[in-house]
Amino acid sequence: MTRLSHPGLKIFSTLFGVFYIAAFYFDLALFRYYPEARQFHWMRTDGIGVVILWYGWIVTAALASAAVAVAVPRPVAERLSPRWVWIVTVLVVLVTLIYERRYFV
Amino acid sequence: MIVVLLLLHGLLAVALLGAITHQALSVLPLAAAKGQRTFFDRFRGVNGPAYATPVAVLFVVTAIGGALLYPQYRIDVRPALEDMRNAAANGVFEIKEHLIAIGLGLLPAYWQVWRQPGNAQGAEAASARRGLTWLLAFFVWWGFIAGHVLNNIRGLLP
Repeated sequence: MTRLSHPGLKIFSTLFGVFYIAAFYFDLALFRYYPEARQFHWMRTDGIGVVILWYGWIVTAALASAAVAVAVPRPVAERLSPRWVWIVTVLVVLVTLIYERRYFV
Repeated sequence: MIVVLLLLHGLLAVALLGAITHQALSVLPLAAAKGQRTFFDRFRGVNGPAYATPVAVLFVVTAIGGALLYPQYRIDVRPALEDMRNAAANGVFEIKEHLIAIGLGLLPAYWQVWRQPGNAQGAEAASARRGLTWLLAFFVWWGFIAGHVLNNIRGLLP
């Protein structure tokens, strides 16, 4: 098995969506970007225009899922069926669509 | 500059849409065609594993293009949609950004299940390939349609 086919990749992909939606719902963006001021900030900063949290959510999810993927022992990761990646992600997408109904009612 | 980037983003999205659609149909559990092959048979009769790396690369590059365009959307388009009281359009875009982000996270496993030897895990690997490819195809189709509708929304709405 090559390094590129490390079983931790399954863990990463399974958890990424879960951490992403958690970061979105609980406002856990690692950083914030203010496009009008063209500035990145760690914390909420008022008075410099609209904010983009999306980049921060992605980085939060990537770091969290990478940390778990590295921490899980290799034999445990190898036992995880690759099916769980898409099954968990389908559930994440369903939760997301249900939550975002707020825009359509 | 922003127009050039928007066009490039759109062209990359077309390439990605074509590649992922070919691959998604190639994993449909259909019996092999007997006799003369139809257009559909030929469309889905591609070498699925050969599409994995191009799809992953196109997905990442197209997402980066979208990320670079996003500030302009946040400053100009979203407030305009709010002024038009068009919450649904903002919702469609918000879902697009979630799906593309989730898709980025899926790519390592997607690439892995396609690049490992075909029968290494038998039906389990085939099921994972099908599930991940169809999920990514759904994300790409949503992103493509949402992007085009929003890009043209002033001409589409009365």
